[in-house]
Amino acid sequence: MPDRDQVPEVASPAKPVANASHQWPPQPDILGTRVKRLDGPLKTQGKAKYAYDIIRPGMLYGRILRSPHAHARVVSIDLSDVQKAPGVRAALAIIEPGKNPKFPGDKVLYQGDEVAAIAAATEEQAGDALRLIKVEYEVLPHLASIEQAMKPFAPVVFEGGNLKRGNVEEEGDLAAGFTAAALVVEATYSTQVQTHVCLEPHGCVCEWEGDKLTAWVSTQAVHGSREGFAQALGIPQTSVRVITEYMGGGFGSKFGPDLQGIVCAKLAKLANAPVKLMLDRKEEHLATGNRPSAAAKIKAGVAADGTLTAFDAETWGTGGAGAGSGFPLPYIYVFPHRRRHHTDVYINAGEQRAMRAPGHPQGCFITEVLMDEIADKLRMDPVEFRMKNLPPEAPNAMWRQYFPRAAEKFGWGRRHPSGDATPGPVKRGYGCAANRWGGGGRGSKAHCEIYPDGGVLMRCGTQDIGTGTRTLVAMVTAETFGLPLDAVNVEVGDSNHPFSGGSGGSTTAASVTPAIRVTADKALAALAAKVAPTLGVDAASIVASKGKIYAKDNPSKSLGWKEACRTLGTEPVSVDGEWEQGLSSSGSSGVQMAEVEVDIETGVTKVKRVTCVQDCGLILDPLTAESQVYGGIIMGIGFAMFENRILDRNTARMVNPNMEWYLLPGPSDIPQIEIVLVNQPDRGVIGLGEPPTVSTAAAVANAVANATGVRIRNLPITPDKILNALALEKSGGTL
Amino acid sequence: MASRSRRPAHPPEAAAENLSVSRRAFLKTVGIGSVATAVVTPAVAQAQGAVKVVGPGEVPISLTINGKRYDLKVDPRVTLLDALRNRLDLTGVKRVCDRGSCGACTVIVEGRAVYSCSMLAIEAQGKPIRTVEGFSTGAALHPVQQAFCDRDALMCGFCTPGFVTATVALLEQHPSPTPEQARALLDGNICRCGTYVRVLEAAMNAKGVRRA
Repeated sequence: MPDRDQVPEVASPAKPVANASHQWPPQPDILGTRVKRLDGPLKTQGKAKYAYDIIRPGMLYGRILRSPHAHARVVSIDLSDVQKAPGVRAALAIIEPGKNPKFPGDKVLYQGDEVAAIAAATEEQAGDALRLIKVEYEVLPHLASIEQAMKPFAPVVFEGGNLKRGNVEEEGDLAAGFTAAALVVEATYSTQVQTHVCLEPHGCVCEWEGDKLTAWVSTQAVHGSREGFAQALGIPQTSVRVITEYMGGGFGSKFGPDLQGIVCAKLAKLANAPVKLMLDRKEEHLATGNRPSAAAKIKAGVAADGTLTAFDAETWGTGGAGAGSGFPLPYIYVFPHRRRHHTDVYINAGEQRAMRAPGHPQGCFITEVLMDEIADKLRMDPVEFRMKNLPPEAPNAMWRQYFPRAAEKFGWGRRHPSGDATPGPVKRGYGCAANRWGGGGRGSKAHCEIYPDGGVLMRCGTQDIGTGTRTLVAMVTAETFGLPLDAVNVEVGDSNHPFSGGSGGSTTAASVTPAIRVTADKALAALAAKVAPTLGVDAASIVASKGKIYAKDNPSKSLGWKEACRTLGTEPVSVDGEWEQGLSSSGSSGVQMAEVEVDIETGVTKVKRVTCVQDCGLILDPLTAESQVYGGIIMGIGFAMFENRILDRNTARMVNPNMEWYLLPGPSDIPQIEIVLVNQPDRGVIGLGEPPTVSTAAAVANAVANATGVRIRNLPITPDKILNALALEKSGGTL
Repeated sequence: MASRSRRPAHPPEAAAENLSVSRRAFLKTVGIGSVATAVVTPAVAQAQGAVKVVGPGEVPISLTINGKRYDLKVDPRVTLLDALRNRLDLTGVKRVCDRGSCGACTVIVEGRAVYSCSMLAIEAQGKPIRTVEGFSTGAALHPVQQAFCDRDALMCGFCTPGFVTATVALLEQHPSPTPEQARALLDGNICRCGTYVRVLEAAMNAKGVRRA
């Protein structure tokens, strides 16, 4: 029996519970249309002020001194010289040597771990001053790789050991599963460490006025950051205001003030002046999070008819210095009998953070490449093989429809068996992979005001991290009031606005837009109550559409929006509202197919085409939704082919902490991308930021194997790996 | 060759070829100077005509940006990028990699797209500099800015000013570029949100940019 629990979303409520008072409009004027993002003009003119761009009167520049060593005890920090340096106004030690010998607070655990900080009048002076901080280190043994950490006599670098064994996850009867198998495949797969590379670095500008702190932070969570500042600084949350009008990318790495934010606030307090502390590119790579590596040694069984029977995996990965490395496995496909045992491996490197669909690209790559290996061995078409092993169809598990749909769009029927037999060095291949994600959200609050002059203001303490949240808030508000977009004012990105959670997990749209709808509905009801006597109709019958307020059953009883607002007299409508169920749900699914071209003489791969079939519930703005999908696929191409945090095996220092050797996809690396967005209006809003990035690397990897006839089982797929695999194939084979 | 070829439209060396001092040459000069100080002081070197020493310490400079003259004082080591951002509050140019590999700081100097992180402020004197803040006139967006907005060629927007500037420079050289030209000439810019598909659409569809 297929086990539904293996895909949690299948069991979760896939459709919203009905809400009697609030629904999405069945025939919207604005929702579902291609609305350009509202902040486009400011961003394209360079007028949008990000945290990095804030300049306050008398502002100083902060810098952090970081450990050059992968593991060391800080014996002493001498700030006496730096305090006398030109322009320096504040200096502080972040690590306090020997303060608490029982707690290893005097240790640095990776290159880039914070040691001390200063603030100076200019950036140049701040940079110079860093060199005057004298730090004495006692260098300790370190672990530069998983292999080093797992060696039997490895130095124990982390308290409690370098390895953290998880519990064995087991379902069914593994032995019976393998007995039922006609074919058993064994292989080891792995994925690399990927860093977020947000173009705007982490950091903030902090300014105190007495005991009150204002912080302009590059963050995915203005309220979370307010809480973070308050806790770390020991001040009430009411004393902190966090502002994030625009922010230059987070991808999961920017949910709080972080240590650099707290340090910035402390420097500002010490210096009695505003301080800007933004990290540089190297610091970004070293210390602001990453996608942990993943590896799996798998034994999988399949019956002769292509039904999966058993899955046994030993898995591991590193999230750096003491952080986890979990990922879902097996991914999506149903293995009735399965066992998995995961081990977190700690090494002396920067700690992982959530990164766009945490865990999923890893689990997807490992499972989907395994799936293709099995399909090839069975001489079955990979799509046909997948269709045999998918979980049952559900609104949030639509792969049984999406595989055929993608196959038709993509021209999957032209796929050749693995190993392109065409003469010449350039080989073409097709690959596919599926994704799933939760999304959904709750808990946002909003505030709406309608003024007697007709003006509309909607406030919500969410933040627009580039996904278009500001635009969605305006669209829902304008739709509800029957107004054009430019008639509503939207304010987001400020912790003084009503609470909304962090922008993560693809939950923002599903959390924020229902709150906006509910709040706007309430504001409209309040306006209707004022207008009803003038119109001589029942307030409950009043609706707003196309710039008019009128009785639903008697449209001749109507007022223009401005006229209607004038009945407010001097008192604006001012209402609060919050998320309610009925307008959103969770769980999305998608399928991607990729075509690659591999030059088997040079090993260079070009991704030529990607076709994506993806759902996300109710689509509010197809224009910005498509942008999310393009972006996810392109980030997936980076994960597939270019990105790799490389640590020197002797020193554990990162050898590519920049953007010329840590490669991101550029304009010339972009394939033709075809997007099929599946609208599911009855499911409400779900969210889309993460799922599209999940399956690209797996589809590309499978296409490379289909082109070349050799299988690359670890990411990124670089030319050297392809050439090595081809050479190995000549002497025995990888398939 | 790396796994893919990125040919920046405006590599720092190419940008600097017409300039009297490139950042790299300047750094070399500093390096030689500091090694040689035991024997030859900067003053002696200057007297011998070996190098022209500017600084240390802040020196007055004037820059012509978007047709307007700015007088300011900067350390000679300050890049054009940092002078624009920190001294003149022209924060449309962004600092992302700060070493000539991402294009977020692109400006147009003497008609050519240049990474402003890879040019010193002192060497930009006397040359007309155009930044993203100077493209629109009044309330009207520049056609490239309009095309970016229409096509949603931006998400977080942090790379956007650099891409807009590189696109303006591209279209002023090639008002009707082929897709290959557009890709090649925008290849020196990096976007993390993955807006490339629509950036290229915008570049191909921006109407009314005149040859400079």
